[in-house]
Amino acid sequence: MSLFGTLAIAGSGMSAESERLSAIASNLANANTAAGPGGQPYRAREVVFQAIPVDGADSNDAEAGLNGVKVAAVVESDAPTQSVYDPGSSFADDKGYVQMPNVSSVDEMVNMISAQQDYQANLEAFNVAKTLALRTLTI
Amino acid sequence: MALPIDTGIEFFRQVLALRAYRQEILSADIANASTPGFKAVDLDFAGALNAATRQPNSTAPSPVRRLWLVDDQRQMTVEGGSDAPEAAANFVKYQTGSEVTLDGNSVDLDQEKTAAAGNAVQYEAAATFATQTIRMLMTAINGSGSQQSSGG
Repeated sequence: MSLFGTLAIAGSGMSAESERLSAIASNLANANTAAGPGGQPYRAREVVFQAIPVDGADSNDAEAGLNGVKVAAVVESDAPTQSVYDPGSSFADDKGYVQMPNVSSVDEMVNMISAQQDYQANLEAFNVAKTLALRTLTI
Repeated sequence: MALPIDTGIEFFRQVLALRAYRQEILSADIANASTPGFKAVDLDFAGALNAATRQPNSTAPSPVRRLWLVDDQRQMTVEGGSDAPEAAANFVKYQTGSEVTLDGNSVDLDQEKTAAAGNAVQYEAAATFATQTIRMLMTAINGSGSQQSSGG
């Protein structure tokens, strides 16, 4: 592995973080979706990251912890949905309650900041590796 | 027996390979800053460089690769499929002292970014020294009055 391995790792980080950002955007967009597909309220999506060896890595690298990252799964949050009293809604049950999504806007905003910082850090690592590789060409 | 002309450049080759290897490790930490259960690692650079540049027994064949020998079997081959010396992976250690989050991740993003920036500067320094070594050899070959040396 070499500086190109660094580029691959930082690239895997960027693509994973942007997927996380997509999930956050989906959650925020559906924060008030009373009924999603199938008549159930929308549930917050969360991405699960997993460390994996990038392309071209050998077993030595993986043992040493030289791993990229990928989105292993997208899971639905099992937090309870919010019950809102709204008897006029067509989604209300017999007692007048509507099940609203379990999306916490505050959680999503915090997650978004974290994802943004992680993405930036990966981008920085990518740019540094690129600079070093170009510098090496001028030895 | 390595020729004197080779030793300086060979050393910088090792340094650059190890610096690039450490940069990769730090990038892996940054990429996994949100991976549950991931533990931050780092390269013991001094140990790895010592192991890579240790003088072999005089009876053993020289491990120095002389790339300019056209009839050398090992020319342009990379042992172990890795640019970094094979033993370098043995010097990758878990980082200690940083906070472990609830999901078992121990990456401190600020610390990793700082270390990566410092490592990049060290890499550039080694590359500069290598350039100067090569320029010095060019001066020795061409003589001080030539265009090559005054151009540097």
